[in-house]
Amino acid sequence: MKIGRLVRATLSGTSQKKTTKIEHEEPTNELKDQVTERLENIRKQTSEIDDIMFKKIATDEGVVTVIYSNSLVEKMTIQTMVFIPLTNYIHQIHQVSDSIEDTDIQEITKKVITGQTILFFHKTFQLLSIDTYSAPTRSITNTEVESTVIGPQDAFTESLETNISLVKRRIKSPMLKNETFTIGTETDTKISVVYMDGIVNKDNLEVLKERIEKLDHPAYTDVTILKQLIEDNPLSPFPQYYLTVRPDTVSGYLHDGRIVVFMENSSAVMICPVTFLEMFMSVEDYYNRWTTASLLRMLRFFGFFLTITITPLYVSALTFHPEILPYELLLNLQESRAKVPFPPLFEVLFIELIIEVLREAGSRMPAKVGQTIGIVGGIVIGTAAVEAGLISNILVVLVATSALLSFLPPIFLVSNTSRFVRYIFIISAGLFGLFGQMIAFTWLMVHLLRIDSLGKPYMSPVIPRKATDLLNGIIRFPTKYLTKKSGISKSPKK
Amino acid sequence: MSPKNLKVLGVYHVIFLVQNTMVGTGLLSAPQRLSVLGYSQVLMPIYFGIIATITLWPMVWICSQYKGDNLFRINELLLGKWMGKGINVLIVLHFTLLIAAIISNYMNLIQSTALPEQTTTVTILLVLLLLTYIVNGGIKTIARFCTLAFCLAIPMVYFLRWGIEKGDLSHIFPLFNFTSQEFFKAMQQGYLSILGYELIMFYFPYIIDQKKAFKHAMIGIWITISLVFITTVVSVMYYSEWQLEHVEFSVLHLFKAGEFSFVERIDIMGITFWVSLILTTAAAYLWSARKGLDSIRSKKNKYHVYFITAAIFGVIMLPVNREFQQKLFDASIYIEYIVILWPIFLCLIHLVRKKQVKSK
Repeated sequence: MKIGRLVRATLSGTSQKKTTKIEHEEPTNELKDQVTERLENIRKQTSEIDDIMFKKIATDEGVVTVIYSNSLVEKMTIQTMVFIPLTNYIHQIHQVSDSIEDTDIQEITKKVITGQTILFFHKTFQLLSIDTYSAPTRSITNTEVESTVIGPQDAFTESLETNISLVKRRIKSPMLKNETFTIGTETDTKISVVYMDGIVNKDNLEVLKERIEKLDHPAYTDVTILKQLIEDNPLSPFPQYYLTVRPDTVSGYLHDGRIVVFMENSSAVMICPVTFLEMFMSVEDYYNRWTTASLLRMLRFFGFFLTITITPLYVSALTFHPEILPYELLLNLQESRAKVPFPPLFEVLFIELIIEVLREAGSRMPAKVGQTIGIVGGIVIGTAAVEAGLISNILVVLVATSALLSFLPPIFLVSNTSRFVRYIFIISAGLFGLFGQMIAFTWLMVHLLRIDSLGKPYMSPVIPRKATDLLNGIIRFPTKYLTKKSGISKSPKK
Repeated sequence: MSPKNLKVLGVYHVIFLVQNTMVGTGLLSAPQRLSVLGYSQVLMPIYFGIIATITLWPMVWICSQYKGDNLFRINELLLGKWMGKGINVLIVLHFTLLIAAIISNYMNLIQSTALPEQTTTVTILLVLLLLTYIVNGGIKTIARFCTLAFCLAIPMVYFLRWGIEKGDLSHIFPLFNFTSQEFFKAMQQGYLSILGYELIMFYFPYIIDQKKAFKHAMIGIWITISLVFITTVVSVMYYSEWQLEHVEFSVLHLFKAGEFSFVERIDIMGITFWVSLILTTAAAYLWSARKGLDSIRSKKNKYHVYFITAAIFGVIMLPVNREFQQKLFDASIYIEYIVILWPIFLCLIHLVRKKQVKSK
């Protein structure tokens, strides 16, 4: 009985102190009926939930019915925390359990289906609950969506407790607070709002809590759903909160006074407020030398604007403004699309859609097949389409470049946004040439200027709220200068 | 809205709001409008700057006397309800016409350079839609947009490089080779290049640091003045006197002087990019006009902005000949000179009626 010894060892400290037996009065028949009825009611409530177990166990204090959920409580846990103490050291059960005063059947059932074990003492008619939630979880593994070459490799899992522990082991400070809320009228999903007290902007925190409390969405399966519901501008194609699976990113942002929202069963967490520029920042930038980091940041940032303008430029130059191209380039372009019967707009839309199809097909298929499809599709369709005279080969180069550029942002949501925005640019270029493109660009700028992230301007660094923000902008200055908190999370002056 | 929330414009907002509302198509055609003076036009922008600074003072002064109120409200306070409202109606009508003039001029330019094979109706609609989108964001969005547009447009100064290289500096002299009549004509035709700073009378209540507003607005004005000055100098260096008089958007052609191996005709890129500068100016005017309509009808209504936009579209699409339309637009620009001088008149009335108004 190795387990028995283990439990005895852990419980021996308390067992020596208290050995007084609790005396109970003999229950009346009326009470008996009530409790039997209650038990019956619990059975009824859980009648079609087959993983809920009712076990009768004979103990020193009479028969005890143990009610627990088979799928949320591990066998080992129920054994060590309930069965062994019940049969061997029953007085200790009273010390580790909570007494249930509430007689509401709904509440009791809820406890069972959230992984607690209910002990029902037939003789004394006491109801106790023990937290035995021990659903199997995935172990901490490397991140696959935000991998970096330098820096820690661990990533969040789907367990809320594990995720919070991953952050708490990085920030050992009593200032780190985590407030828990339950949302979702049907799913009862637990979320945790984590922030550094004393650094966080209280106004931001109030706004966020207010929005969470107002939620009445029935079901949450991932933090991205919550994110869309509490964003400032839900209709915008741009994500207004940062999404990450990396604990080091989270602790970096926590130090800067941001608020992080964890959700159970979600491996991604949400960081707010953030700025547009931060969508192009990776935590690896801080691990790299400042020169490399600045170069990569510039590449990502300008890459976003390039990916939405390259192919539209092709459309507008060939449709409306051949005169902006130098003679040699124009000749080259015209030669390459001499066999193409479509106007440039359709040519570009055609190949862009093919790229989308390849991308989507590649991401849905099993990894091995996906790769093959990607290569075969890319080469076969690309080469064949050019040879068949459906598209020009220069366009293939441009489209491939812009597809690659669209994968530069560290957050996948921004990459998706660039795909969507590119179509707006292509169509406006097809309709009004460079002028249409500029109109679309102006729209993009104004739209970005109008968006807020948790009430703070999304385009913060353009109109810096603080001069030191510029040190950690498109260019990342050497680490010794990056000591100030950013303006977006600055607490208001008292 | 509480007065605290009303104040949204910081230092940079004011500077760039003033600066960018002044830059429109006017800048592109400034050398031609000043061509009466020939090569002696070089110093004109500086005079404009001085005049702008002088006329800015009464604007800021009268607004600082009525801190929470814009010009529309001040008109009503000083001139009485009905006369004030009457003047306000005129201002709103005038602004509608002015925005139509700004957009129409620009669209004609676009049609003649970038989109010669298309009619402008749909593009004008698109521009107006975008305009309402900007204005609906409020004055702060307009101010932010001005800042961003400035940052994006300022690298264009680099394109003047070739003009300087190929030009002749000796064109600048003599500096004062003109008669007073020519001077006033140039003044009358050229001053419109720097119109726009008078809008401070409408967004003054939204400025956080009202005491320093004059200084900040002045910085904005002189940024624009130096830009106009630079372009004028380079134009004078690069063009002959005949060209100055006859080349319509001479600044655009300066861009063309550049030679790149990978792109020709950067001027088309420049002129299409100019839409953001046009939109900043038009948005500030439209926002002011909307405030005017709010004040005339004594209630806020989000449809006011659409109403004015529809009116602008109507004016641009007016089925009259081009000459008449151009006359109308020119008239609207000259009326703007009255708006600039208007606060001086208001200041005088304020001094006379100060006690009466304050006791209200």
